[in-house]
Amino acid sequence: MIMDDYKFLFKVVLVGNAGVGKTCLVRRFTQGLFPPGQGATIGVDFMIKTVDVGSEKVKLQIWDTAGQERFRSITQSYYRSAHALILVYDISCQPTFDCLPDWLREIEEYASSKVLRVLVGNKIDREDREIPTVVGEEFAERHNMYFLETSAKESDNVERLFMQIAEDLMKQARSRDLPRYDSNTTTIDGKTSTISDFSCCSK
Amino acid sequence: MLSPEKSYAEMQATLQQELERIKLEEEVLIQELNNCLSQKAFHGDKIKGLAKLIPTLKVIKQEAKELVGTINDISNSSEKISGKIRSLDMARSNVEECQHRVSDLIDLEICSQGVQAAILDSDYEKGAAHVHRFLSMDQSLLKRTATDMENVTNMMKSVRTLQDAAGQLRAIVEHKFNEAVKTEDLVSIERFFKIFPLLGVHEEGIKEFCTYLRSKLADAADKNLKSAISTPLADKRHSIVYADTLTLLFEGLARIIDTHQPLLETYYGPGRLLSAITILQKECDTQTKRILNEWSKNRQIGKKTQLISDVSRMSNSSSFSKIEKIDPKDLDILIGEVTLMHYRSELYIRFIQRKVNSDMEVGVPDQEAKTLMTKNLEQLIKNSDLSQSKHEFLSHYLRLEQYFMEESVAKAVNMDTLEAPQQTSSMVDDTFFIVRKCIRRSVSTGSLDGICVIINNACRVLENDFCDILRGRLKQGYPSGYLDLTQAYNVLQSSIQQGRLQSGDTEQSRTAFIVALNNADAAIEYVDTLCDSVIKEIDQALPKMNANERGKLESCLSGLSSVTTNLREVIEYGMQQLRASAIKPRINPWVDTFLNVNHQMTEDEMSAYEAGEPFVQTLIMNLDTLLQSFKEVLSSSNYDAFTAVLTAEVTQRFEKVLLKSTFNRMGGLILDKEVRSLAGYITTTTSWSVRDKFARLTQIATVLNLEQVSEINDYWGNHDGALTWRLTPSELRSIMSLRTDFKIEDIRRIKL
Repeated sequence: MIMDDYKFLFKVVLVGNAGVGKTCLVRRFTQGLFPPGQGATIGVDFMIKTVDVGSEKVKLQIWDTAGQERFRSITQSYYRSAHALILVYDISCQPTFDCLPDWLREIEEYASSKVLRVLVGNKIDREDREIPTVVGEEFAERHNMYFLETSAKESDNVERLFMQIAEDLMKQARSRDLPRYDSNTTTIDGKTSTISDFSCCSK
Repeated sequence: MLSPEKSYAEMQATLQQELERIKLEEEVLIQELNNCLSQKAFHGDKIKGLAKLIPTLKVIKQEAKELVGTINDISNSSEKISGKIRSLDMARSNVEECQHRVSDLIDLEICSQGVQAAILDSDYEKGAAHVHRFLSMDQSLLKRTATDMENVTNMMKSVRTLQDAAGQLRAIVEHKFNEAVKTEDLVSIERFFKIFPLLGVHEEGIKEFCTYLRSKLADAADKNLKSAISTPLADKRHSIVYADTLTLLFEGLARIIDTHQPLLETYYGPGRLLSAITILQKECDTQTKRILNEWSKNRQIGKKTQLISDVSRMSNSSSFSKIEKIDPKDLDILIGEVTLMHYRSELYIRFIQRKVNSDMEVGVPDQEAKTLMTKNLEQLIKNSDLSQSKHEFLSHYLRLEQYFMEESVAKAVNMDTLEAPQQTSSMVDDTFFIVRKCIRRSVSTGSLDGICVIINNACRVLENDFCDILRGRLKQGYPSGYLDLTQAYNVLQSSIQQGRLQSGDTEQSRTAFIVALNNADAAIEYVDTLCDSVIKEIDQALPKMNANERGKLESCLSGLSSVTTNLREVIEYGMQQLRASAIKPRINPWVDTFLNVNHQMTEDEMSAYEAGEPFVQTLIMNLDTLLQSFKEVLSSSNYDAFTAVLTAEVTQRFEKVLLKSTFNRMGGLILDKEVRSLAGYITTTTSWSVRDKFARLTQIATVLNLEQVSEINDYWGNHDGALTWRLTPSELRSIMSLRTDFKIEDIRRIKL
């Protein structure tokens, strides 16, 4: 891949039940659109957006996964290399919230332990809310996740969600603490020697 | 005061000048006047010519006036004519409409008379032709004609007759068609199929006909599936019999579409293929689903995927050993079958897309209708059971393939053997063979998503299962032991050569260590080759990837470069291990013997010493033995890395012991020679450029080899002869102070 003018490259993966609005969140953020009547995603979709954090260019590679069960074997393979995982539910649909523990189990199994995890309650534009904000907050807190409520339709908090993630990941990268799938600093015969560390975008 | 004479003289000069000027002016004026005179004749001619033209102009003006009059007349009359033409046109179109109506009326009469007769004669083609003629008449025009006419009842009767006849014919044709279907009378089926469009019931015709084709298809598919299920185990194609059945189904469908498309186009017109395919798709869906279910049942897919997920779920738990694992080899053929099934489904979908699109290009000129049709096609495919089944095939394939790759690599690693005189063990070749095979197979599914998943999985397996094993082996360390290293190595080498590896633990661990290091090095090359070949293969299999799809693929492939990074770290880690246990303990005592040599020599001592250079020659000999023993066992780039580490160690140690010695002029000279010999040896024995690593040492020797303190100025400063120094001024001063014959004050005095 060509290194263009960005300094950091992060992979962000969206997961969650079918129909919670993952694709709409991504479309809203990357293209500023809200396509009504969005069909179900097949497999995984891939979008790129470069954002400025401070004075740095950060390239976000956003993987929008299909929520349907039958695509699970495709979507799971993207967890491992993710720097951030956005777990989305629909605040007007209790079952999508009830499935969160199952999703967490999946994340536990396939993703890096250091992955940045964000819980998102989408569709706050809807009148028929079923999950109060505080319930989402509590869940996120219990599982050590960031929490945000959004509306892809009204464009509420969407920009903030992704910018927050970009900033956080950059902070992590700066402190050289990016998720590495198997980073073990090893000592040799008592003499400590740290294996040279690589930043996330090293080739 | 000025004398009047002088002022007179001045005045005269001025006047003289003025005179000159006026003379010149006069000359110019005369010249101009001459010019004017010469032109006068020419102008006169012109004027004469113009005067002659005046009467002609009068004539022209008169003629122009006449012309305007004529044009006005023409325009008036042409307007009159066009008015007449317009009314003529109107009259003609009236006549035409009239003719049309009359001919319609006549036809109506003929048709209404003929249709009944035709029906009675069972000449449905003729009857349908009459109805077709009737339907092609402008119905509103007919109504208008009716109101204009006196004999309304007669005409209305004809219309009613024809309408009735149309209905009647539709019923008859449908009935006859169904009868023909029942008796499998192909000729009649085709005969009546052609009549439907004449009666204006295209969609019904397509529906009836395709429903008939559907039933034929169902019969064939049923037979194929039954014979598939009863295929004996011994049959050659037993292992891919379901893929064969699915292929037969798609081929059958494609044949039906190909043979009937011309018929449809001729009698129904282009642009109607989607309707036909939509009906056929229902049967395709049913049959695909059946095949999927039978396949899944007979190949025990449920049980297998359950076992696989148990293995991955319980791999960390204690009861893991109790699970009966499936041998990946047993899955190989099954994976091949499901790959084929997915690919066939993909191909068939592409086939109908292509067919409908080209039919649409010809038959549907309207852009809006085209967009709608494209959308309908997309929906048809997306919502079909065929697509669902295709996803299911892919899903099964991916689960099986991931397990296959993981378990096969694990097996390759477990069954790792080293065959002399290979520098790498079997696990490298085996692992990359497996990974490559799996990725290739994923390419043959025809699904980009599938390929990406397998590439992701390959990265995971290579990093977790492959790199970690190598790292683990290196973690065991490289035992230095009490035996002399070279000796130990010879023992090791001979035991490798004899194919026995049961010699002492130490040798075994050493071999394991070195081989792991070489494996990592070979793997880096393999990853690169893998990446290149995969890109080529994918480009061939999916030539029409768009930018987004390419981005997706590239992102997944970049995972492979992080495998390379990981492997480089593994090698670096191993090198550090070697530094600590194989290089340092050996080199330090060798270099330390430098301290035994007195570098405060007399000239005699120097020439005696120079003859043999005992220190450096021994060091070189020792290094040579050490390097040779590793050169034989390490891969070339690992050997390069090794010599780099070794050189760094030697130079650092040398520097350290140097600083503990003192020198006189002779000693400095000797040292300089020794450093040159050492640098010369190492540069010639290795391909690695080590000059740089010797820079500091060479500079130290240069400093210690100075005649006198002030000579440093030849090397230090901003002039041509100056060196790029690796030593700081304070280091330089303290090195100079090692020369016992240099005065401290002199050293202090030099300007650096």
